[in-house]
Amino acid sequence: MTSSVMDVRNELVRAPDRKLAVAPSTPRLRPLIVPIILLALWEIAAHTGLADPRFLPTLEAIAVRGVKEFAEDGLTSDLTASLARDLLGFVVGASVGVALGLALGFSRLLERLLSPLLLAHRQIALFAWVPLISMWFGGGEAGKLVFIALAAFQPALTNTWQGVAGIPKIYRELSRVLTYDGWDFAVVIALPGALPGIFTGLHAALIYAWTSTVGAELLLDIAPGIGGRMNEGQHLFHIDLLFLCVFLLGLIGMVFNLIAGAAERRLLRWRRS
Amino acid sequence: MSSLAQTFDSDAVKHPLLRIQDVSKAFIVSDRRVQALSHVDLDVEQGEFVSIVGASGCGKSTLLRLILGLDTDYEGAIRLEGRRIERPGLDRSIVFQEHRLLPWLTVEANVGAALRQIKGSGAEKRARVEAQLHLVGLQSFAKAYPAQLSGGMAQRVAIARALVTNPKFLLLDEPLGALDALTRLRLQDELLRIVRNRGATAILVTHDVDEAVYLGDRIVIMSPHPGRIASVLPVPKEMSRDRSDPAFLRLRDDVLTRLGVNKAAAVYDRLLEIPNEQRVH
Amino acid sequence: MFSGPIAGAIEYAGRATNVPRRIGCGLGRIGGLAQGLIVPASLLMAWSVWARLGWLPEQILPPPSEVFGAMRDTIDDGTLLSSTLTSLRRVAEGFFAGAVFGLAFGFVTGASRLAESLFAPLFLTLSQVPTLGWIPILVLFVGIDELLKILVIGWAAFIPVALNTAQGVRDVPRTYLELGRVLSLSRLSTLRSIILPSAVPSIFTGLREGLANSWQTLVAVELIASFEGLGYLMAYGRQLFQLELVLVAMIVVGLIGLSIHLLLSLIESHLQRWNPRGQS
Repeated sequence: MTSSVMDVRNELVRAPDRKLAVAPSTPRLRPLIVPIILLALWEIAAHTGLADPRFLPTLEAIAVRGVKEFAEDGLTSDLTASLARDLLGFVVGASVGVALGLALGFSRLLERLLSPLLLAHRQIALFAWVPLISMWFGGGEAGKLVFIALAAFQPALTNTWQGVAGIPKIYRELSRVLTYDGWDFAVVIALPGALPGIFTGLHAALIYAWTSTVGAELLLDIAPGIGGRMNEGQHLFHIDLLFLCVFLLGLIGMVFNLIAGAAERRLLRWRRS
Repeated sequence: MSSLAQTFDSDAVKHPLLRIQDVSKAFIVSDRRVQALSHVDLDVEQGEFVSIVGASGCGKSTLLRLILGLDTDYEGAIRLEGRRIERPGLDRSIVFQEHRLLPWLTVEANVGAALRQIKGSGAEKRARVEAQLHLVGLQSFAKAYPAQLSGGMAQRVAIARALVTNPKFLLLDEPLGALDALTRLRLQDELLRIVRNRGATAILVTHDVDEAVYLGDRIVIMSPHPGRIASVLPVPKEMSRDRSDPAFLRLRDDVLTRLGVNKAAAVYDRLLEIPNEQRVH
Repeated sequence: MFSGPIAGAIEYAGRATNVPRRIGCGLGRIGGLAQGLIVPASLLMAWSVWARLGWLPEQILPPPSEVFGAMRDTIDDGTLLSSTLTSLRRVAEGFFAGAVFGLAFGFVTGASRLAESLFAPLFLTLSQVPTLGWIPILVLFVGIDELLKILVIGWAAFIPVALNTAQGVRDVPRTYLELGRVLSLSRLSTLRSIILPSAVPSIFTGLREGLANSWQTLVAVELIASFEGLGYLMAYGRQLFQLELVLVAMIVVGLIGLSIHLLLSLIESHLQRWNPRGQS
């Protein structure tokens, strides 16, 4: 769960620059070929009974379920609940992570004091914290939020820290030549210089927060939330609900990636030549 | 805002502007002691343009850093207008080999960045920045980002940034080294014009002998291991800045010889087996 | 003591100076090590002291002695070892499967623009779904046995391996490819002598991330849907309110994570010795 996130992110950030067309005869439609074929096969298999309808519902059945869920059975409120949790945890975790990352980048003393602890913390797989956190904070809202914040904290901290530490020596030297005081250095050089790293961290934190939201909801107490619905769908063998939820998860993930990618491109305009 | 700790010397004199006295500096590199500078003496008068040439390792860049005040750990004394140099100050500007423009600032913001520690109204500072950009011919690129500029243009912005603080001293550390030959020639002319225009005092460090002779009023030749001044050659005032002028070529050859790179003389000397110290002076 | 961030910023800017090392740097280095240990050591001490004083209720944090005791017990009765081995085996199998497919897929989509335009968008879309989100569906399809774990862990590894491999193959510098043409190399030779070596750093990055991802996913999967392994041990301890068991499992998880990290760093630095373009 480390930087595969970032790879996907990189692909999406880079996507607008890369053209998919090879030959002018089949331009942008190529990416749709395979999905369309697969969906067609799916439909055929579901309709002709080639596949067990319990395992492969027809696409219309999923759509019908979707309409029903949103209109009556409260999938909207589940989604809202999940997103609310996710964003709250993200904001808390990412803010702490960025703040600490800046502090560590600026203060060598702080870095020396805290880096062993933070390094050790990084070695423990994220989800290993769930049992502990659920014991300390319960399996309800508080526990989920703490876990999501923790998930966002990690990449925000690491990338911000690297962003500050990675400011080239020539710029730091420049600030001395221009007789900058600490404030000028921070405002003119350090913060803008660290901004790419900070953004990378925030993007990753956003994705990690969403991943951990889903995971936490699958693991901890049932409450409003998409994970809870998925658990329910699994127990009741409502596979149409499950497909619907997976689709929604992907949609939300994609929206997050696109938003974060666009924000990065906008704010880091100066990188383009 | 800018404060220079000032240590007054009892025999402070107005000339020369910069006085380097018996400066030596050593580095420890992988547990070995490297003598970067050894007993360097140099005076620079107001309005002079001094070129420093030498092979790598002769300490010329180190010397610039000491004059700049980036490094205060050395023996000897460096005085500007009679006061010891203790730290960087806005009275001394430098243009590095890499332009070192901040990529996230526009051209005019980059030039303006040098004025942050100077008191003044926003309007005054903007006017100064504009004037400098005009001087280097880039006023129409004020809102561009460094990534959009060519190497020569970026270096011109760096020069504008170095001049906007109206420094007493302009230091140039191989400023044209990263540029292609044609741009270099063009910028040499620009540099000459700009510096003459301001009446600024300048020290140029370069490994390009032609450049050193073209721009300088005096040529300081340094040699390495340990870094020291081998000789100082004045450039005759009457000599025209024409690269095909015989006087220019003679001076250039002289410098090359002193650097040990003049092939004809080197072959000749080897034939006669004349030791280095006793060669053409 | 830690001075304000602005003073820290000045100090930070000052690091640009090239100051010759002095004699005291040896002492400085020891000081650096000590500074690193201060925080962990004091936390550890505070933990034991508070537990001893009875200030720390068992549900928050059992005393270190109990944690050690639990560790000894689980080692003695073999549960720790078997759980660890189960978890490691699953990671290995899942990672191996995901990596093999990832390499193949990444290679094909990296080398062929056609393949990329056909398959990459679908792949990217599917990877937007958090890996764990596939679990409920997969449970219904394949149940909770080992296949589930391998599929989920494999998918977690597949994504970074495929992406990085594709990028490595795609980003072979054109100059190298032209060299191959100039030397009239056959397709196979080009592959072997030019494309593969150039792509190795990216491929390795992908493998490294894939392994890290696999490990992370394993822990989650074992918590959600398993009756064996370190994750299960943690869940079990949590159920019985035996925090010392949870902590023991967490420590082992951390140690394995650290070992993976160190092992991969070692391999990477070995690779980087020969390749100045090696990625970090």
